[in-house]
Amino acid sequence: MSAEITAAHGAEGEYQYKTQTNRLGLWLFLVSDSFIFGALLVTRFYLLGLHRPELNQPLGLVVTSVLLTSSFFMNRAETSMAYGDRKGFLSNILATIALGITFLLGVVGVEWRTAPFSVSDGAQGAVFFMMTGMHGFHVLTGVVLLLILYFNGRRGVYSAERHWAVEAGAVYWHFVDLVWVFFYPALYLIGTVIAR
Amino acid sequence: MDTKKSQLLRQGLLVFIALAVITGIEYFVGTNGAFLPAMVLMALVKAGLVLWYYMHIRKVFTGGEE
Repeated sequence: MSAEITAAHGAEGEYQYKTQTNRLGLWLFLVSDSFIFGALLVTRFYLLGLHRPELNQPLGLVVTSVLLTSSFFMNRAETSMAYGDRKGFLSNILATIALGITFLLGVVGVEWRTAPFSVSDGAQGAVFFMMTGMHGFHVLTGVVLLLILYFNGRRGVYSAERHWAVEAGAVYWHFVDLVWVFFYPALYLIGTVIAR
Repeated sequence: MDTKKSQLLRQGLLVFIALAVITGIEYFVGTNGAFLPAMVLMALVKAGLVLWYYMHIRKVFTGGEE
């Protein structure tokens, strides 16, 4: 199949075809991954109902804003590379990485340590640490992926015509942000605080 | 080409502002009694913006064309 496409449309046509297939594969992966997060969200409402864990509200807003801002810079990084602006790509992806690490430090480094309950404190502990842990692990893998993109970008691996990896990294990063769009209100805002 | 790039960067900024404003409203509503349907609606609008403008979901159906 690949040889037929190359013969008919040249190397560029083959690259486009592969990108299209890769894109479909990436989205299938994201759909399957979203089932895990969906299950965690259902678990949260099943176990806690309209009650929520006692969490640091200002910190929740700050980490949410940080992740949201990281998506903004990721979008700029992707757009820059799509138009061959390597310098813009590198600076924006570095900002995304820094914000991703800040988010992790906020959730795992601060919220986990200061939460007035532990992972073994019943349903709220299990729900909170499982949801933030699974999400945090995705943020961590996203940061690793973005670091790979950054170093490849520095070596000039990507161009305006060939930057599928950048698009994939961006879509994955935004997916992580998308999950937090639902997790943030579910954990921090919806319901009344569980009395200690 | 540069015009198109500037247009896309501007669009990204506008989406970011919209997401930030909704998050602010979400926080306000959430810390003042959290009206559940409003919270769900805001989360869905934010998700739609991210999916459409940042994740370019339409590319899956158009074969890469924006």
